[in-house]
Amino acid sequence: MILLARTQGKYEFMLRRFLGFMSSLLKNGKSIFGLILISVFLVLALGASFLTPYTAIGEDPLDRLAPAASNVPPTWFRSLPTWLGGNPALSENMVIVQNPGSPRLIADGGEFGLETDNPNVSATASNINYPYDLPFGYKRYGGEGSLRLTYTRQGGTAGGEVRTVIFKEFDFPYTGPPSSFYAAIAMQVNGSTALSGVPAVDKLQVPVKVNVILGPVDGRKWQIWPPVENIFYDVRIPKGFTKDALTGAPGPIERPLVGALVFDNVTGEFIDSGWVTSVKNELSTIRSSSQELINPKSPFPFPSDPARIVFSANPGKYMFGVEIVFVDTGSAEDVSTTVTIDNFGLLLKGTSFGLFGATHRGWDIFSQLVHGTRISLYLGISVAVFSVAIGLAVGLAAGYSGRIIDELLMRITDVLLVLPGLPLLVVLIAILGASIDNLVILLGVLGWMGFARMVRSQVLSIKERSYVEAAKAIGAGRFHIIINHVLPSVMSLVYISLATAVPGAVTAEAALSWLGFYDPMRMSWGRMLNEAVVEAGAISSWWWILPPGVCISFLAASFILVGYALDEVLNPKLRLRK
Amino acid sequence: MGLRSFILKRLVYSFVLILLVIVLNFVIFKSMPGDPVQFLMKPWTRESPEVRQQQEQELRDLWGFGEPFEVQAVKYVRNLFMFNFGRSFVDKISVTTSLERRLPYTLMLLGGSAILSILLGVIIGILVIQRRGTVVDSGTVTGSLVMGSLPTFWLGLVFLLFFYSMLHWFPNKGAFPDAWAFGWPVALTASSSYTSTSLSSVLSFNMVEAWALVAGYLRHLFLPLLTLTVFSVGGWILLTRATMLDVITEDYIVTARAKGLTERTVLFKHALKNASLPIITSAALSFGFILTGAIITETVFTYPGLGAWTWMAIRYLDYTVLMAIFYIVSICVVVANIVADLLYGVIDPRIKYG
Repeated sequence: MILLARTQGKYEFMLRRFLGFMSSLLKNGKSIFGLILISVFLVLALGASFLTPYTAIGEDPLDRLAPAASNVPPTWFRSLPTWLGGNPALSENMVIVQNPGSPRLIADGGEFGLETDNPNVSATASNINYPYDLPFGYKRYGGEGSLRLTYTRQGGTAGGEVRTVIFKEFDFPYTGPPSSFYAAIAMQVNGSTALSGVPAVDKLQVPVKVNVILGPVDGRKWQIWPPVENIFYDVRIPKGFTKDALTGAPGPIERPLVGALVFDNVTGEFIDSGWVTSVKNELSTIRSSSQELINPKSPFPFPSDPARIVFSANPGKYMFGVEIVFVDTGSAEDVSTTVTIDNFGLLLKGTSFGLFGATHRGWDIFSQLVHGTRISLYLGISVAVFSVAIGLAVGLAAGYSGRIIDELLMRITDVLLVLPGLPLLVVLIAILGASIDNLVILLGVLGWMGFARMVRSQVLSIKERSYVEAAKAIGAGRFHIIINHVLPSVMSLVYISLATAVPGAVTAEAALSWLGFYDPMRMSWGRMLNEAVVEAGAISSWWWILPPGVCISFLAASFILVGYALDEVLNPKLRLRK
Repeated sequence: MGLRSFILKRLVYSFVLILLVIVLNFVIFKSMPGDPVQFLMKPWTRESPEVRQQQEQELRDLWGFGEPFEVQAVKYVRNLFMFNFGRSFVDKISVTTSLERRLPYTLMLLGGSAILSILLGVIIGILVIQRRGTVVDSGTVTGSLVMGSLPTFWLGLVFLLFFYSMLHWFPNKGAFPDAWAFGWPVALTASSSYTSTSLSSVLSFNMVEAWALVAGYLRHLFLPLLTLTVFSVGGWILLTRATMLDVITEDYIVTARAKGLTERTVLFKHALKNASLPIITSAALSFGFILTGAIITETVFTYPGLGAWTWMAIRYLDYTVLMAIFYIVSICVVVANIVADLLYGVIDPRIKYG
């Protein structure tokens, strides 16, 4: 019972001492500033996953694709003066088709409009779903079902080319064009194959021509698909389609060059009871950046950047759609053709992105920055703990035990102090490999010397104090004396060194990463700077270079300030004299 | 113990330290993975395996890799003490030659920044002491702490960003304009050469061109110098402030004030003189690290000094260069330590060696 009371009293005393210590620490302006900064970084590190929708390297977590265009500034650059790199014409990412996985007409609660000049055409929602994955960051906008367009004509009535457009109108609010557009479409065509005199299996009675179009509602529109020549590998001409020279087509569609796809009755690929697919196992993709669209030798229309040309009338109302022409020759039989459209989407990538812009790979810088906090904090704190532990052990052993151990340990310390630190670190990292744990070990092993010297000199003076003599006289063991009498008087040094060892580790990691010795699995602040300056050569992109460095400096400074404040509180000798 | 025996003891101790460094140096590079001969072989030769093997053997004999361990170690130590570092693995130039070529740039950069930052630091530190306890004081202390914890390479990048990319005031790389790669500007070389014997042609040394020459070097020196100075000045401010704070409560300062001396005289004549001991010894120590200090800064600005050389050696694992650098840097640090120890006694005669 007495013992219990005693320990209780001890804890009470410890608690009171701790509270007193904290209150004196909080009276110090530097430590308040430092502690606030550290807590901000802690919040960032802990809440990184909630603060940004992207992964640690700034990818879209769903499809591991870059969410932005390459090397674009933050969105708030629009309201910045030009001499800082500001540009009022910057545009942002836009998702034009909200639900590309299940295209529906507005009448069915969807988003597409239908325009046709023939009463024989009808559109309905279908439950058929195409198994293709939409590229270009569309994964989060999935959906089941497809849009079915049917053309039926009674035998004996008039035929002719029946033009139908399924489209979505949208507002483009920015004064500058997007950096690129990405579109996709998947189609199947089915039709009556009962053409007279021909085997019924592989003939379509009404061939279909298809164009995907994009442009201002009241201006010239551009055919962005299909491409004309299969020049580059990333352009996919659907297998089994033929191209047809289609000139002088009706309507406002700008057709600088031929190239409508024809789903015809000769070479169409038939699978599963007469279905024709655009590409057998994939959908057709359209990128404004594809060589095929911008190559001057290509017969395709765009003289330079397609995105800039299509959106040259910005801002305003634009339309994105697919033009389907049923080429009905007007035969005597009843005819019917069905076109099923799915995964029909359009994305615009802006010329600006997010809070801090995007890297040369289109990765979100803000997300990298927030996740980088974790690495720096983890590394800084574990290196501090590790090196202080080594230094404490060496210092206590050297200071308290005899001459030979002391001499040996101190000579090792001297050698490590004399060797040039950074080259040695880099050479060892080059040998061991630049993983974050190797870095922790190396920085810890190469960072304890100064602290060990401090501990040793402190121990040397404490060893001669009378209370240690008294403890020895009672018969206390060496270990007992070190733990109970020597260690407590060294603890203030430990606290201070813990705080002041963090910034060195953080900046060392940054410097090593910047030199190229980074953990390839992680995106740290130093690696961000390496990518910006060394890989991308973007020395003028200040929105990219400043944030990681500011973070490194603030984190380092916050620990330095706390360490300095601890020093002022724990070593009253240093207190300001007036 | 007298001064002589102290120096002797320090010398013996330093010698042992350097020996230990040499051993560690040898062990580190000996234990590195990979066969250096493979590194030296041309990978693109099309000779038959026998010829290649013979070439390998020749290289092994030439560089002495084939000799037994003890012989290698003895040769290595002997060569180090004779400052014979061999040739670089990469460019095959003698290490000593490269060292001589690069040394002036590093001395200019690091020596300049050391002198600048010490002067600035001491002056600012004293100015701060005059205003101790005010917002200026705590602001300067905080600022110095923050500046000292900035990553140097990022500081350099920011300076590049503003002074090179945005303002175009200073060049971004090298130690002199690219056009000088094959010699100084023509007129200057012509006038300073002895092709013409007449005195007048020697005297026609053009001041404008001379200034252009100096300015060319200074313009390239400025940004790295600024980076290093900003990085290190904070430490000197803090050191000056701390030592001055220690001194300023002494009785003789009170006496000096009581005599009616101005605050400036008190600070500069009485306080600074007594506070200068730690400052001067730290300065001596910091000069020891001059040869290693600027790897990052020199790499950022592609400045052709020893730091950039070290970085190239690290990148290509140029053993001979790295060994030379480790050795020379260690010697410099040890010598600086001895100098600092001796300076103690020169400045403060009360200190007894022992």
